[in-house]
Amino acid sequence: MVKRKVAALEKVDADLVSLQYKIRRDPKSYAQEFYDQWLSYDAQRHIFVSSPSTASTDDVKKFHDLVDIVAHVADLYPNLTAPFPDHLKDLLNQHHAVLHSELREKVVGSLCLLRRKEVIDSTSLLTTLFPILISTPSKTLRSLLYTKIISDLRESNSKATNHRLNRTIQTVLHNLVTSDRTSTKGMWATRITRELWRRQIWTDAKPCDVMKEACLSDNEKVVAGGVRFFLGGDKEREEMEDDSSDDEGIDIKRVKHQGGINKKTKKRMKQFEKAVDKVKRQERKKSAPHPLNFSALHLIHDPQGFAELLFQKHLQNTKCKFTLDNKLLILQLVTRLVGLHKLTIISLYSWFVRFLTPKQAQVTSFLGSLAQATHNLVPPDALEPLVVKIANEFVSEASAAEVAAAGINGIREIAIRQPLCMSETLLQDLVLYQRSKDKGVVMAAKGLQSLYREVYPELLQKKYRGKDATIGLRSGEVKLRKFGEEDTGGIEGIELLEQWKQEQREKKLAEQAAIEAEGGEVKKIDDDEDGFNSDEWEVGSDDSDESDNGWINVSDDEEDGEPAKKRPKQSGEMTDEDKANAIAEANRISVLATTSILTPADLAKLQELVREANIDKAMGGRTSKRKKELIARHIDEGVTAEDIELPATIGKKSTKEEREALAREGKPGRDEHKSTQAIRKSKKEAEGKSSTNKEKARKKNFMMTLGKARAKNKRSLVDTKASLKAHVAKAKQGGRRRNGVA
Amino acid sequence: MGSSNRKKKEKKKDFAKAKLKVGREKAKAANFTDTSFKSKSISINQKSIIAEGVDQVEQFKQNLSLAVAAKSDHARRDALAYLVNQLSARPPNNPVGIAGLLTKLLPLLSDGSPPVRTGLLKLFRVFPPAEVGPHVEKILMYIRGGMTHLSTDVRSDTLNVMEWLLEVAGDDVVSCPGGWLKTLNSFSCMLGWNPSVGSVLVSKGWTSASKTTTIGMGSKNGREVQARQIEVLAKFLQVGFRQETPAPFSPMAYWDNIYRLPARANPFAYLNLFGVPRDEDNEMYPDRISRQRVFEAKWETSMVAGMTGAKKEGGLVGRAASGMEKVLNDEVNGSKSTQA
Repeated sequence: MVKRKVAALEKVDADLVSLQYKIRRDPKSYAQEFYDQWLSYDAQRHIFVSSPSTASTDDVKKFHDLVDIVAHVADLYPNLTAPFPDHLKDLLNQHHAVLHSELREKVVGSLCLLRRKEVIDSTSLLTTLFPILISTPSKTLRSLLYTKIISDLRESNSKATNHRLNRTIQTVLHNLVTSDRTSTKGMWATRITRELWRRQIWTDAKPCDVMKEACLSDNEKVVAGGVRFFLGGDKEREEMEDDSSDDEGIDIKRVKHQGGINKKTKKRMKQFEKAVDKVKRQERKKSAPHPLNFSALHLIHDPQGFAELLFQKHLQNTKCKFTLDNKLLILQLVTRLVGLHKLTIISLYSWFVRFLTPKQAQVTSFLGSLAQATHNLVPPDALEPLVVKIANEFVSEASAAEVAAAGINGIREIAIRQPLCMSETLLQDLVLYQRSKDKGVVMAAKGLQSLYREVYPELLQKKYRGKDATIGLRSGEVKLRKFGEEDTGGIEGIELLEQWKQEQREKKLAEQAAIEAEGGEVKKIDDDEDGFNSDEWEVGSDDSDESDNGWINVSDDEEDGEPAKKRPKQSGEMTDEDKANAIAEANRISVLATTSILTPADLAKLQELVREANIDKAMGGRTSKRKKELIARHIDEGVTAEDIELPATIGKKSTKEEREALAREGKPGRDEHKSTQAIRKSKKEAEGKSSTNKEKARKKNFMMTLGKARAKNKRSLVDTKASLKAHVAKAKQGGRRRNGVA
Repeated sequence: MGSSNRKKKEKKKDFAKAKLKVGREKAKAANFTDTSFKSKSISINQKSIIAEGVDQVEQFKQNLSLAVAAKSDHARRDALAYLVNQLSARPPNNPVGIAGLLTKLLPLLSDGSPPVRTGLLKLFRVFPPAEVGPHVEKILMYIRGGMTHLSTDVRSDTLNVMEWLLEVAGDDVVSCPGGWLKTLNSFSCMLGWNPSVGSVLVSKGWTSASKTTTIGMGSKNGREVQARQIEVLAKFLQVGFRQETPAPFSPMAYWDNIYRLPARANPFAYLNLFGVPRDEDNEMYPDRISRQRVFEAKWETSMVAGMTGAKKEGGLVGRAASGMEKVLNDEVNGSKSTQA
């Protein structure tokens, strides 16, 4: 067929893409053309809607293209296209099951596009997409909708938190979970909530409430989703934050350099500006105060009721047929809550008895959970039978070493939290296991012993008490804490802060005195330490440099041997009389805490001081192992099966894979395990840089070096002497690299 | 020199005879290129694999599917020609029925190749007129899509189809749901006599030519195309405003109405019992009076304005416009006569 000639204009207009481009350039002039397309969209829509399932591929394709163009320019003709979003919504709602997948994708994408162009608002978009997400059988559509929903929520919360939208969606999710507790639809609520929690878009109590309801669902999957959220959601969030702070990516110097070399175009200019903008934003983000996010476990409303309900519904209930893994997850959550909020669920402990045998699958997990569920307000009566049972079942000469080690360690973990759970004979019996042949058992027994040396030495036989405990007992320093006894409260480390403030003031006074002595102009300082200084409300304000100097002084003083007022127990000054001292201390604390409002800067400083003090103590070696352990482990982290199994692994040879994994830990971005040198070299090669002279010399073909070597042998004595002399002279100058020469 | 030794060996290797081993594949040559490929479907250039003596019905169906799905223009055109032959035979051979044909073939209205479109029109022309009536609404949808198509050729070919449809089922065209107002809308859009788009623009304080650029400022035969459009519009209006002849009296009409099955498809369409609610554009305008009323309210001013403009241009367009004017005048006279 001869190619038909087409007029230029027609040729150009014959595809929708160029028409779209023109419309965007000049919407007024192309209104008529758009109207044509609008009509043809309408006609095509009618054709399609009349029989969506049997529409021919041609029709679908045409409709697809028309939807595309209308969506892209809808914002330019708001009057004409007013019904367009509703058309799309209806189409999606009624026919999502039979729509051709590409068209379906296009419709969803167009709706999101309209949202981005602010033709429709987020709420209407999400309320359209959400019901389809939970009802559609198509996996691809579900994943598409899920990503779209998440990205829309992110976007609408990017500039400022969109509270209204969040509330609406959270309510929808809450209703979804609570309306039908047996269905798997709640999965979507948990997935969405978890994702938004991870991205720190939702950080308040409402999503926790959604998850709480999910935990109380009847469907196993939903329950597991909810429980996993509470157990791992916060860690995930932290990791996400670390990741996002890591990716700096832009090398501003490089971009600048490229800008100097390459042709200067508007595009490059824009790229450069964007890069600068991004770097600035990152810097601003770095200096911004850390957002104070509470962990999900702390945001739960009525933890006692929740934990009780969870325990009764899924664990105590014999009709509950969840798998062991999920039950263990639930148990972990319940015990975490009990430990963290110091809840009292007495029936929980008797429930445990049945599972504490070495034959029980994943028994270490149970042991860990039991330890988690223990706190100082659990009655020792409830714990004692459990401890006895563990001792009887796990710890005997006949049982395997791993089992015994796990048992003793489990008992130790319980005893850390409630030392009163142990009877004298049992403890003495257990401590004797340090004579065992297995290293793991020995370590576990010794751990138990050293724990009781500190908290309750009377229970140990005299010969196992050790020096410190014996002396402490005699001087009355080591005292048993009775059941229910608590530390007298206060702000941890407030005395450190006060001391630091005092020093700062003295330093200022001294400076001023010096200035006065010089006869310079006397600047009035605000003597009033409680004076309201607006700068202090910013954590990252100027005085932080000053503060750095401050704490160096603190530790310097300690090294000098000058007794520092730190903690009542350790301070040397206050050995006169404990009681009077304690009262004085209490008074002093109340002075600072009650007369002034601590600014965020103060709090940051306080934290820093406390951390320093802890490190100092730990470094000093006088701190006990147990305290070190408690310092290292944050209260928010629970006891896991690994903790219980730890002593059993001592003395065992690890496999190569394990060692490799250990070596790799903390060194991200390596796909294989090889030396740093090799990695550097390959990196250099990848960047297209050449090798060093040294490397070249090393790699040089041996045959090529022969000639020179031969020539060297044939040198005359004079030549040899000259070269040796030169060598010595050069070595005196520090060699070619001039080592040791300024 | 060591390396040269190595090189010598390498050179020798090229001329060494490769050893063949039983059970092993021959080593691939150094310049071997892998030309194997995987495909989920096989596409064949010549779709028709008709063998002689295939069942006639099968052959018909095969050609029907070829007419829709064949990749090449020729194949589609030939298949359509075959269908025309079959339908124009005495007696016509149509195993799938008009409805089946239409559902398959209507998307071809906006086919890219002109011979296919003309072939399609030829095929439509051999349809028995009585059987087209029930499908008018569906055909009109495609026609409206074609009338606003991007390509001018498709538009003008669609007009031919429109003309045919007016000939065979004119009353159905103007009285089916959406058949009157929506089609008028498409016509005015084609001609650029559109009041609604104008208002979008004028509202911003700017005037602009409401004439479309695609009407053929650039194309060679733009005038002819426009004249043709006006002509078809005039025909459409003529059908719409045609005087209805009252049905002749039949004594059985009353009883037929009660007890007989209706002869028409979907006789209660105007009640719209099961469909989505219709808006003004989609509404049915079953009789002349209602058509006239809605035309006067919505379209008369812009149509007359456009028409006078076209008349002033003279030539082909002017002649067509005066034809249309005559139709409109007749309508006015007709309405007066009915009112009187």
